[in-house]
Amino acid sequence: MNRATSRRVFVRRSGLALLALGLPPEFVTRSLLAATRGAERSRTLVCLFLRGAVDGLNMVVPFAEPSYYAHRRTIALPAPRAEGGGIIDLDGFFGLHPALDPLHPLYRRGELAIVHAAGSPHPTRSHFDAQDFMETATPGTKSTPDGWLNRVLGATQCTSCTGRTLAHAAAHAVDHVAAQASMTGTTVPALRGVAMGSALPRSLRGEHPALAIEDLERFGIGGNDIGLEDAFAHLYQTRQADVFGTAADDAFEAVRVLRSLDGILYEPRSGVDYPTGNFGRSLRQIAQLIKADVGLEIGFADIGGWDTHQAQGGIEGQLARRLTELARGIRAFHDDLGDRMEDVVILTMSEFGRTVAENGSGGTDHGHANCILAIGGRVNGGHVLGDWPGLETELLYQQRDLAVTTDFRDVFAEIASEHLGADRLDQVFPGYPIDRSRWRGVLR
Amino acid sequence: MPNVLHRRMLSRSLLTSATLLVVIAPRAHASHAPGARTLAQDTARVTHLLARATFGVRPGDIDALLAMGRDVWLEAQLDPRGRPDTALEARLSRLEAIAVPPGELLRRAANAAASARAATPSMAGDSAATAQPRARMTVVPAPRVILEELVTARLVRAVHAERQLEEVMTDFWFNHFNVFFGKGIDRYLVADYERSAIRPHVFGRFEGMLRATAKHPAMLFYLDNWTSVAPDTGSAARARTLTPRQRKRLMRGGRPVREPLARLDSAQTRRRARGLNENYARELLELHTLGVDAGFTQHDVTEVARAFTGWTFRRPTARTAARTGDAEVGFLFIPANHDRGEKTVLGRTLAAGRGIEDGEDVIRMLAAHPATARFIAAKLVERFVTDEPDADFVEELAEVYLRTAGDLREVTRALFTSERFYEVRWRGAKVKTPFELVASALRAVHAEVGPSRQLARTLNAMGHLPYTAAEPTGFPARSDDWVNSGALLARMNFALDLAGGRIDGVRIDPLTRRERGIRALGLALGSPEFQRR
Repeated sequence: MNRATSRRVFVRRSGLALLALGLPPEFVTRSLLAATRGAERSRTLVCLFLRGAVDGLNMVVPFAEPSYYAHRRTIALPAPRAEGGGIIDLDGFFGLHPALDPLHPLYRRGELAIVHAAGSPHPTRSHFDAQDFMETATPGTKSTPDGWLNRVLGATQCTSCTGRTLAHAAAHAVDHVAAQASMTGTTVPALRGVAMGSALPRSLRGEHPALAIEDLERFGIGGNDIGLEDAFAHLYQTRQADVFGTAADDAFEAVRVLRSLDGILYEPRSGVDYPTGNFGRSLRQIAQLIKADVGLEIGFADIGGWDTHQAQGGIEGQLARRLTELARGIRAFHDDLGDRMEDVVILTMSEFGRTVAENGSGGTDHGHANCILAIGGRVNGGHVLGDWPGLETELLYQQRDLAVTTDFRDVFAEIASEHLGADRLDQVFPGYPIDRSRWRGVLR
Repeated sequence: MPNVLHRRMLSRSLLTSATLLVVIAPRAHASHAPGARTLAQDTARVTHLLARATFGVRPGDIDALLAMGRDVWLEAQLDPRGRPDTALEARLSRLEAIAVPPGELLRRAANAAASARAATPSMAGDSAATAQPRARMTVVPAPRVILEELVTARLVRAVHAERQLEEVMTDFWFNHFNVFFGKGIDRYLVADYERSAIRPHVFGRFEGMLRATAKHPAMLFYLDNWTSVAPDTGSAARARTLTPRQRKRLMRGGRPVREPLARLDSAQTRRRARGLNENYARELLELHTLGVDAGFTQHDVTEVARAFTGWTFRRPTARTAARTGDAEVGFLFIPANHDRGEKTVLGRTLAAGRGIEDGEDVIRMLAAHPATARFIAAKLVERFVTDEPDADFVEELAEVYLRTAGDLREVTRALFTSERFYEVRWRGAKVKTPFELVASALRAVHAEVGPSRQLARTLNAMGHLPYTAAEPTGFPARSDDWVNSGALLARMNFALDLAGGRIDGVRIDPLTRRERGIRALGLALGSPEFQRR
């Protein structure tokens, strides 16, 4: 762990150090609170789920592998050329799809890291199951009740103290301050985790409040009729604990906070041009929430259209168009946030990769390993990380797909721990022993 | 002080709208009488049935059903033949774009694409002017218009149809065999798909519906089977031996084209095709029949894909489009593209040297498979009974399925007559999907529904605009997929808009609204009770 530790970890460590000096716990608590209040902004993780399984091999292309061209007779991308127009060379072996050109400067500046051949150890090629496994971070277990991001919210939040000894109580007080410190300015728990869209993704479902917002600008009741809002709040409050649970309470609380923002007037930084459509709007509104300091720790957005079984195209075409929207969106978000990207990590994920060989329809079928992109000021960028398993047929998973050399949970765990300051990683990734030596060093 | 206000408003919402009260919480005012089953119990059972087997209770429905008797009502619903719903037909007759046969739509689209290509940019203005008279005769409805009509038809049927069970089951089975409006030419095929591959089979045999979907161009296109050919057929071999220049041309053809119709006539399709595509095979096993946990393997997927090679469809092309009348679209088996080798599917061998029989046998095999019976039974229980399918109930329905060779009328009857269906713990246990909420609210206030931009927008914002589920899993049926903070606000806002008469295309009797109070009506329709069924 040779990168700057997160604020929470820092606070916790210094607190424990003060305790070790024999200072009274109350004093430690007070001094830590005073030292950290308003000192730093909260950290945010923005997860982008590429649903439908993006073809990672045409996204970050191992162009130096002759097998790449042997397997993909019509959809392979032309090798990098001096005059441009082909694959964008990253390191002489891997290159970016030219549609990802907006991300190339971020790679060069060390703000974009790529983990290739990452994925799930589970063999399923079902979109539904694989997405479920990735969102619960428990491959092979369908009964997991909550999503991994929801558990991260739990692991960065203070839990009730059950300790009996003074030392434990003091340590808990430190934890509590640390948790508070990592949520500066937050008064609304539900705004710690926000998914843009009409449904809360599996990743964010669970006991900790999280919110799905279709459109910030229309998030309210009856055009901001406070009387109706109160009446509905009352109707839903009197429910016994059931499926609606706190969903309504969280909604009303969030409505009240968001009303106080002058969010409707939000203008991105000048020159920033988000792509039109849902994805661009989602990113724009996540940027808006981050800048508003509502305590957003996890933002989530979907982008679909990756299931390219047929006619996926090469330099141009179906996949290229999707990648263009993805890259333009990420770049706009990055430029809009400016130096606030220091506190933000964008993480892309997709349920599995696609077959190494193209199929009979100029497309690719369901495969295995994929690549993950991480973008942010503290990302250990400018590298393609992970072990490369090779593309020759005998090296492939089940003779057909890119093999997994990085378990996706090792990437998730590193970000959760080192970026968001989540501890209790064993609870965030149940059944998966945490071994930091497997982490790829996605963060500096 | 605000609390007092709330309570006053709430009590008004619950007391002044007596009819609505019946719709929302009928148990509250049913009287208790001695006997084997009290009226209150009967009312509750009937309400439960209506809540699940229709798109929502209308004022008066419960009394009508009690008077008629459950079995009489259910039998009429299960066998609607010979009971034309003329009022519904009249409402639907105004929707013109979705009434055009799919072949004709494709012909017009191919034609339009051809004439657009013929016009050079510099002459565009002129040719547009001269082409106008002909264009008017063969106008291609805009995709937006088609989708609006499709959604309108769904809503009008859900709200106004007398054959409610047929509508509910059509919705269920369409979702089971989902196709996506937004994928290419499926926009021209979806209406016919529902009309011919789903609706006629909802009370028929499952195998019939499975076969109809397997052969419908909408499914063949959606899951790409139309492009799947044997890896070693002449066409595949030919593609491998192309000169670089020919391959380049192929690549150009292989790119998604803005207007694929004109370019891809069947000869070109054969030339373009180069091998297996396993998309349909996988979803057939995973989503349509056995279920993901039935133990099939990647090998089974590949073998099933081989069995369906050569299953494609014919359609009007640039060359034939100009000829009016030649507007055929339909299933086509191309023997030359079929993999004639031996195949092993789920341990059974399909002999070498056969043709279309391979796919037909797989369909028969899958439809009769016990795993399919259980998978279908579990899906029915999940949608119509409880989010966590009750194992005994699933077993009961699976047995009916197997005993009747997948007769869906029998399975549906068993579902709604089993004592397990009426267990008290299931009442109100399902959260309405957004579409169910919208339809049931419209029914509760006796609304007259026509084309409505805002209803479509509302459904879209809640993530449940019919025909727009892009993934083959369709829309989810479980409550926790639909309950979240943002979605609840959208439901409340819809309720307020409906009560306030602010939804275009929807008419509510103004007297009804005045009697009940707009605010109170909105609160009632947006209440947690009304979100359940």
